[in-house]
Amino acid sequence: MANLPRKLELFYDVLSPYSWLGFELLCRYQNIWNINLQLRPSFIAGIMKDSGNKPPALVPRKGKYMMMDLQHLKNFYQVPIRIPKDFLTVILEKGSLNAMRFLTAVNMEKPEMLENVSRELWMRIWSRDEDITEPQSILAAAEKAGLSKEQAKSLLENSSTDKVKNKLKETTSAACNYGAFGLPTIVVHMDNKPCVIFGSDRMEMLAYLLGEQWQGPVPSAVKGKL
Amino acid sequence: MSCLPRKLELFYDLLCPYSWLGFEILCRYQNIWNISLQLRPSFLAAIIMDSDMEEYREKVGGDQRIQVPTKGIYGFNSYLEKLRKQEYMKNELQYLGKFCQVPIEIPRDLRGVLIDKGSLNAMRFLTSVHIEYPEMLEKVSRELWMRIWSRDEDITEPWSIQAAAEEAGFSRKQAMSLLKKSSTEEVKNKLRENTNTAYKYGAFGLPTIVAHMDTKPCVFFSSDRIELLAHLLGEQWQGPVPQALKGKL
Repeated sequence: MANLPRKLELFYDVLSPYSWLGFELLCRYQNIWNINLQLRPSFIAGIMKDSGNKPPALVPRKGKYMMMDLQHLKNFYQVPIRIPKDFLTVILEKGSLNAMRFLTAVNMEKPEMLENVSRELWMRIWSRDEDITEPQSILAAAEKAGLSKEQAKSLLENSSTDKVKNKLKETTSAACNYGAFGLPTIVVHMDNKPCVIFGSDRMEMLAYLLGEQWQGPVPSAVKGKL
Repeated sequence: MSCLPRKLELFYDLLCPYSWLGFEILCRYQNIWNISLQLRPSFLAAIIMDSDMEEYREKVGGDQRIQVPTKGIYGFNSYLEKLRKQEYMKNELQYLGKFCQVPIEIPRDLRGVLIDKGSLNAMRFLTSVHIEYPEMLEKVSRELWMRIWSRDEDITEPWSIQAAAEEAGFSRKQAMSLLKKSSTEEVKNKLRENTNTAYKYGAFGLPTIVAHMDTKPCVFFSSDRIELLAHLLGEQWQGPVPQALKGKL
């Protein structure tokens, strides 16, 4: 008798490049491992505020290290990350609230599109150094992901309703209740209790906990397709 | 013609359990990969303090004098942040320990161990070993980690350090002589020098691994970039417990 798939929640924010790495890895493995991957768009600024943490980029050495680390990881993970020119403005001033509200709306109305739309938003901010805060930017990403103009506009309108704002707050709180102090945060629902993992660099350990095989950041089944 | 081994420097402090994980993984691979692993006992508290001071200076600008905490490993970060990260760390280390097959157990009084007691004497001792008996550095480091991060035993008192040294294979006489040497200027300066070297490479914490590649040194923070390191070295990653060792742990 086959085991039920293990539920894995991925709390993420498109403002976070490490969230992108974790997202791509789990998306690659979701059809290889016996898991049920549930994407949870969250608000990293909210998590930072709640936990008292701050973006690593604010610490000068951590910021420098991060730039270098991402250059290595983008090649190794095969995710086309490019650091935005005005990186601090993107992270600290522009932020991601509108984008994450939009993704929350997508998750509520068209959950099957959440993966594609998230990816297109990441491609804008973290690969092509394009805006993700203005309505036209978000609409462009949504259409690139496969939503029609009408669908995208309707979702954008929904984004500013209390229902969506509250849902984003609720998801972010859920991450905080699991002890999150940053993103990505992965919650693996094991037999006895949830196991919380921070960062995109614990996937091999995750495979071990799930009793699955780790084939590196680009598993065979995906190799030809990237 | 075979390639010269790539030099890998591991800057570490006993106070840091992630240093232990990085240390054990690299020790396992040192005879599998074409690398020359060089252990560099360093002082985490100084790195964190310098890194925090640098951050503070950039915030306020100029050279204003401020009250700097004189012990412990925490700088100016918020109490709440530390608490949540600490809770996370306690859980994560249990999984990592099993995954990496390193017998980590969280000390009962974590705050006391990390902040009140620290690691200065032990790191000076390891520096002393590094100078006099470098071939013993791996074993003594391991025995000290076993004390603090597996059996919740002290590593600050002279007899604690001596016990670890003897467990590693030193005679009582050698251990006592190394202890005496630990408090000399030569050893204190050597520890400062190692720590400054890590800092100059951009370290903001430990473990910090510096791989001397053909073009320039590559710096990695923490114990979770070793698979990436293998990829950059053109070596094969077999997980934290490579085949050659499976029967022996």
